[in-house]
Amino acid sequence: MGIAQFMTDEHRSCDDHFAAAEQAAANSDWQTAEKAFLAFSNDTLTHFKREEEELFPTFEAQTGNVQGPTQVMRYEHEQVKGLIGKLAEALEAQDRDAYLSLCESMMILLQQHNMKEEQMLYAMCERLLPPDLKEETLSKMKQVEL
Amino acid sequence: MFNQNGLSLDQAPPISVVFRFFLSGSLFGLLAGTFICLFGTDIFNPDTTQALIITHTLTLGVMLSFMFAALFQMLPVIAGIKLTAPTQKANLVQYPFILGVLSLLFAFHSGKPAFFMGASLLLGSAILGIAFVMLKNLIALPNHSNSSRGMSVALTSLVVLTLLALYMTGTLAGLWQGNYYTQIKTAHYSFGLFGWIALLIISISFQVIEMFYVTPPYPAFISKSLPQRVFGLLLIGTVGSFFFEKTWMVIDLFIIIFMLCYALMTLRRLSQRKRPIADATVWLWRLGMGLLVLSMAATLDTRFYDVASLKALNYIFFAGFALSIVLAMFYKIVPFLTWFHLNSQGYFTAPMMHEVIHPKTAMKHLYIHIATLLAFTVSVFIPAVIYLAATLTLLSFGWMLWQIVHAWKLYVHTQKTGEKFEMNIA
Repeated sequence: MGIAQFMTDEHRSCDDHFAAAEQAAANSDWQTAEKAFLAFSNDTLTHFKREEEELFPTFEAQTGNVQGPTQVMRYEHEQVKGLIGKLAEALEAQDRDAYLSLCESMMILLQQHNMKEEQMLYAMCERLLPPDLKEETLSKMKQVEL
Repeated sequence: MFNQNGLSLDQAPPISVVFRFFLSGSLFGLLAGTFICLFGTDIFNPDTTQALIITHTLTLGVMLSFMFAALFQMLPVIAGIKLTAPTQKANLVQYPFILGVLSLLFAFHSGKPAFFMGASLLLGSAILGIAFVMLKNLIALPNHSNSSRGMSVALTSLVVLTLLALYMTGTLAGLWQGNYYTQIKTAHYSFGLFGWIALLIISISFQVIEMFYVTPPYPAFISKSLPQRVFGLLLIGTVGSFFFEKTWMVIDLFIIIFMLCYALMTLRRLSQRKRPIADATVWLWRLGMGLLVLSMAATLDTRFYDVASLKALNYIFFAGFALSIVLAMFYKIVPFLTWFHLNSQGYFTAPMMHEVIHPKTAMKHLYIHIATLLAFTVSVFIPAVIYLAATLTLLSFGWMLWQIVHAWKLYVHTQKTGEKFEMNIA
């Protein structure tokens, strides 16, 4: 499995947790919502850490481009982290309407972010990084923990 | 090299750029409702001036306004294109566009060449100008997604249909004889309905269905080549119609098949979405796709049965399809942009999406929209019901107008009174 496939699979898995949490919150099943939300936030933050600590620096070193795509991705990670915090507050308060409203914003932000990564950044990594470096980066990314 | 824009605030167009086109679209919608009150069921007879007026109020005034809004907003998100000086460009498009539409409506009403001349100059410059700017940026993209490729095709169709329209308005203005008026007219509305309206919706949906509802992507046989194939068919139909009268009969058949494939696949994707919650926008997409299927069935039937009521129903179904999708996009874009711009500007008190437009408000509009479509359908058989349909049209666009005004007021109010922190993320 290459970098693109591994990271794309992580996006999909986060989507599953997110959708489960959203549905549970809609049903006011807060226990299930909390469990699914925790899985979503942990997986998402771990995924971001893999990118910020391993993938982005490797891409930047290889291309010499530190102000380009990776910088935009980091900015968007901050936006998503801010929303995760707000979602956690709404969950804590069991505020169904606020939680579902924040879910709308989160999904649009996250999906457009994921699409850019999948269609552009990961594809560029697959194309531009030498095979051994790809393997090494993937292995290092897998070891990253929150 | 890379789509660096996305939703980063410095790259997104100012919120006013998008809102101004929604505003003018809603106002033209109110104008359409007023015309329907005045014209009654004459609008269903394609040979009448009333039908021409209402068709162009809807397709130009309403649909093109909303589509300009969508293009200004979606080009950065979908294609990574940052239009320079977006506010200035929006002004340069919008003012001549509004005057041009009004001039065209007066021209249809009065038949006076001066109005046709005015409409040609104003609409020609506004539409072709912005279409060329957007196309230039799209063509320069090194990496194309299926959406950006489809949008290029749709914009090319807009250029073609505008040039065809200029041939007709030029004829009516007395500039030339217009020997090919009949063939050009058929090509004009075919490019308008399928090449522009349908293909733009299709191209944008390749991205937004997946993005808003978290669905599997469209299969490659649809997303990779459907827009190009439909465009190719339209070109063949246009050229062929000069030599063989029945060319469009064959071309329409293929287009119907493509549209049906797309509509059914979209319905399937919506049923496969990971987010099980069905808000008003999901139902609007479903309604829109259902109406596209009905419209294609009616188009097919009109090839065999030349019945006026069938043509009227086709007209209602296609307009219903396009307006349903516009509403679906509207109820995602307006609350998201209001929240996103304020949040990105650092306002603690940025209203959440549901505070901008509550899902129940969108749901109520869905019911109004369905009631409007039903009233129009019934009015084909019971003409007096057209006045109910007209009233509901006024209510529907008035509802929309109020949502934009409300969102804008909330935006300005938050900017004036909201607490803010300085975000300093590079």
